[in-house]
Amino acid sequence: MQPAVDLYELSKSFRVRRPRSGGIGARLSNFIAPDVQAVPAVDRLSFSIAPGERVAFIGPNGAGKSTTLKLLAGILQPDAGEVRVMGLVPSRQRTELAFAIGTVFGQRSQLWYQLPPRDTFELLGRVYEIDARAHARRIEALTAVFGLGELMSTPVRHLSLGERMRCEIAASLLHSPRMLFLDEPTIGLDVSAKAAIRELLLTESIRQGITLLLTSHDTGDMESVCDRVIVIHRGRLLWDDSIAALRKSFLSAKRVTFWSEAEHLDVTLPGVKVVSSAAHRTELEIESGATPLGQVVDAALRQSSITDMVIEDAPLDEVIRALYAKAERRCAT
Amino acid sequence: MTLTYLKKHTAYARIAMAQGRRERAELYGRVVFFAVILGVFSSLWRAVGEAGLPASGDPRALVWYLAATEWIMLSAPQIHLEIQEAIRRGDVVYRLGHPASYVMAEFAAGLGATALRMPFLGLTAFGCAFAFTRWTPPLSAIALFIPFAVMAAALLVALYLWIGLLAFWLQDVSPVFWVTQKLMFVFGGLMLPLAMYPSAMQKAAAFTPFPVMLFAPASIVLGTGLVRPVILARDLALWGGVMALVVQWTYRRAAAGLTVNGG
Amino acid sequence: MTRWVNTLRFARALVTTNLKAALALRGAFVMQALFMVLNNFTFFVFWWVLMRRTPTLRGWRLADIQVLFGVVAAGYGLTVTLAGGVRYLGQAIEDGALDTLLTQPKPVLLHALGLRLQPSGFGDVLSGLVFILWSGQVSWRTAPAVALAIAASALACAACGIVFFSLAFWVGRVETAARQLWELLLTFSLYPEPLFGGALRLALFTVLPAGFVGYLPASVVREPSIQNMSMLATGAVLYFTLAVLVFDAGLRRYASGSRFTTFG
Repeated sequence: MQPAVDLYELSKSFRVRRPRSGGIGARLSNFIAPDVQAVPAVDRLSFSIAPGERVAFIGPNGAGKSTTLKLLAGILQPDAGEVRVMGLVPSRQRTELAFAIGTVFGQRSQLWYQLPPRDTFELLGRVYEIDARAHARRIEALTAVFGLGELMSTPVRHLSLGERMRCEIAASLLHSPRMLFLDEPTIGLDVSAKAAIRELLLTESIRQGITLLLTSHDTGDMESVCDRVIVIHRGRLLWDDSIAALRKSFLSAKRVTFWSEAEHLDVTLPGVKVVSSAAHRTELEIESGATPLGQVVDAALRQSSITDMVIEDAPLDEVIRALYAKAERRCAT
Repeated sequence: MTLTYLKKHTAYARIAMAQGRRERAELYGRVVFFAVILGVFSSLWRAVGEAGLPASGDPRALVWYLAATEWIMLSAPQIHLEIQEAIRRGDVVYRLGHPASYVMAEFAAGLGATALRMPFLGLTAFGCAFAFTRWTPPLSAIALFIPFAVMAAALLVALYLWIGLLAFWLQDVSPVFWVTQKLMFVFGGLMLPLAMYPSAMQKAAAFTPFPVMLFAPASIVLGTGLVRPVILARDLALWGGVMALVVQWTYRRAAAGLTVNGG
Repeated sequence: MTRWVNTLRFARALVTTNLKAALALRGAFVMQALFMVLNNFTFFVFWWVLMRRTPTLRGWRLADIQVLFGVVAAGYGLTVTLAGGVRYLGQAIEDGALDTLLTQPKPVLLHALGLRLQPSGFGDVLSGLVFILWSGQVSWRTAPAVALAIAASALACAACGIVFFSLAFWVGRVETAARQLWELLLTFSLYPEPLFGGALRLALFTVLPAGFVGYLPASVVREPSIQNMSMLATGAVLYFTLAVLVFDAGLRRYASGSRFTTFG
């Protein structure tokens, strides 16, 4: 089956002007002969996404995520390499591709501010050349699924951010795209709004077989919606596998929190580190392979009677932070 | 007014000047516009001269007259837009808590920006006027005109400030600005000295501050003796007082409305 | 064929949506339109006062000035209502707002132009029509010529706006400069062409085509000859084509990423 996204050695550099500092002479030379350097934003990136997959695309700020997304959507042209989205070459078949993809930019809105979402939806019907009756049915279906009801007749300026985001995502699905690009879709949303958006994305993707490519700094987005994560750093591929595999093979550690009768616990064993400590509460991080979990628990029990205990995996945030740190160290050497 | 009070508000003026120095593109644009307008009008007045203008109008003097009125007009920054934005964003609410009068602060900032623009635009005004006419009015006339021009520009800043304050009630103050500006063109005699208007219009103009802002100071440059400096000074002071009262009253109504409605 | 039909349908939908958005704030809409009418008439008072004393100015009478004013006002009004996004083109390029438009299957320029509507433009069109009718130089027979004149003026005006604001593709923050260039264009178009000397007149028909925004359309209204009308139509269309080419070149540069100085 044809992949939804197929990148091979995709590269893109930006020309950045580095202004010389100094007096009039420097200013003049900046103007006449500016010092321009090519800074790689995407560097021989290769990966493939199958139809229906939900992929998180993450990396530290400046890693090249937005650039990659823009290359895939046909907004930017690559310098080298090959890219195909839904079998089309974005830079050459932009219009054709536009009918097959939807985009949601968390920090930008395509809804008209003074008008109710319904008016933008109708305009989008004309943008995507959707038959009037089919369009009306589609709007009704999406209104039901996304719980838009009353929101449809409320001017966008009166909607909360969460409500607006639901409308934005619904708008991006009006033309039944096969693929959705989302750039920070939950940014600025409160906890319940985020949960609602994540659920909607997951259900719609499963139901309609829509491929998702999502960039986010919120690991909750990743865990709730996606099965696979691609990590890039300085434009290069750092990691490409399932989230479970990321946890398992990269940083395998367990977090154990003890609530004890004693005020403090002192568990000094190889590979065991105290993460946080408060009166009657101690949180430890245990590197796997260093000390068996059972031994740690025994050690704690020997010191004090334990009233409660929680064992969990290291938070994904920390896993990713460690991944970035390792990559930085590799770059530095 | 205490020294501290003055110092505080002068600080606002200084910040405005510093900001103005960075926004040079706007200033250069005005310089170019000024030069173009003077060029067009010098051509216009020459054409009018050919067609036979009444004796009281020397085409070259009329170009200098326009340079004078435009100098005042273009020197005053259009602060109504910034004030409108600040009110929309709610910044004003923060300023209410500051131990400085909001209107005085804005007025001081406006004056600061004016102080920055006036020298540049003045050089442009008189440089272009001379270039297009190859003539200058008596230097004493120009010297007398300059302080009145500064006072007139200050009065204009106060007017723009008042228009900006209307944003407390209006969605968009731009329409008010356009109409006020055009009324100023007409009743202030921006392009044509008021003396050339039908007498009914001249009488109507007397009820507005516009002649005092543009026509009267610029007439000094014409050297016709039509305007007496002492009278002009008195009128500027009177209209200044009226403007100050109107601005303060408007602001108090606005602030009262804010506190009652909770912002 | 279908593509053109769809594009026209889209353009019509843009205008309708824009109108709805503008009318959503009814008070502001009415005020802007009304005050613009007042604004234009007040500005005209200068000419009325001047022409009372000097009935002819290098062959131009008050009625000629009225036609000139009318055509420029109506043309500019049409531009800022139907293609109101032109004033915000520079901003859209700077902010990356074109990104969203690039992911949609409609011409980017058309979409960008149609994103906004300035209600004051209605005031301009209305006052423009009033000036033209008031001049007494038109009749029912010359109505098509008037329509052509206004349309051509709008096309030339929009074309200049597109070129000036598209400079953002190459130069970066051109907002102020572009806006002032556009105002300069309008300033020149509002004054009778006989006032200008040879070199300036050439410039006003080439680099800063105020001649196609004001003088030539006004001539077509006063003397609707085939020669005048063809020259006007050709000029306006050429300028607009040039503007579209400039925008497209800029858009290619945008897509190649050479205008960026930061990346993410």
